[in-house]
Amino acid sequence: MSTVHRFRTMGCDAAVAADDPATVVEVLERWEETFSLFRPESELSRVNRSRAHVLAVSPLFAQALEVALGVAAETDGLVDPTLCGRSPEVVLSERVLSRPPGLALDLNGVVKALAVDAAAATLEQPGFVSVGGDLAVRGPVDVALPAGGAIRVVEGGLATSGTASRGAHLVDPRTGRSAESRWEQVTASGATCLGADVAAKVGFLLGERGPEWLDERGIPGRFVSAGGEIVENDAWATATRAVPACT
Amino acid sequence: MKENSRIQGARRRARAAKAGVGALAAVVFGVAFVGAKIHAPGHTKGKATPLGAPASFEHKVRQSVVQGGQIAPAVQPPPVASSTS
Repeated sequence: MSTVHRFRTMGCDAAVAADDPATVVEVLERWEETFSLFRPESELSRVNRSRAHVLAVSPLFAQALEVALGVAAETDGLVDPTLCGRSPEVVLSERVLSRPPGLALDLNGVVKALAVDAAAATLEQPGFVSVGGDLAVRGPVDVALPAGGAIRVVEGGLATSGTASRGAHLVDPRTGRSAESRWEQVTASGATCLGADVAAKVGFLLGERGPEWLDERGIPGRFVSAGGEIVENDAWATATRAVPACT
Repeated sequence: MKENSRIQGARRRARAAKAGVGALAAVVFGVAFVGAKIHAPGHTKGKATPLGAPASFEHKVRQSVVQGGQIAPAVQPPPVASSTS
């Protein structure tokens, strides 16, 4: 595997193992430029400032928003780009966005993971892209886990969601307030980094029902409670069970 | 008399021709009507169905976003960590 390069992007620590890290950085920067809520000139900031009911957006913006709306539908609004359960009022047709003026969009629920997937797609050799602990791999990569331990990500992505590092920053669209959960950190394995990230968020927000929700979809999940208790759902336990060597 | 019978004959033939043409028109109309009923796409033959993709297909496509990845026991010291950001 290539040398690991570490830097900061999208407000997070990033690690990249790639033959051409400059290309990966370029892809991540393009996503950050478009979707940062902290850059007044980002496209997302401009869309949120606009009082127009209907406006044209860039292809990248339309792609991310389409994914975000699909995720909101699939998770019954648990991961919602309006953060308040109003995603059905947002309509996207090709590159034309229609939404009630003043209804702000927050694509943080999907953008970082989408950016990681997009950056990982540029890898031509075995390696990985990790931003803020959300990871996509090309070829097997061993990954350290919250509260100790490690696993090998063979294919796809891995993501952790929760309140361990930034406190209660996740908003529960059902209440519009900071999410409260039995779990402090939830790690999920997905076919993509996006899938892993969405699964980890839903697992966190659903609390007790999280492990079951992930199992119903065959998604491995590992749940760490505030007290340090570690719960692995069936899919995780099965996948990481060491197979005894033949004698 | 002879002239009268010729006129009557002509009237009979004319009536027969009119009846023939009318019957033929009725048959053509009937066949076209039944054909349209069966084949014309705009014709209502039963309950209307939505033109969008079936729900099962949409569910399948949407399902692809949240799918499990492949993991296994670690075998080397990890070069990277997964954590909340």
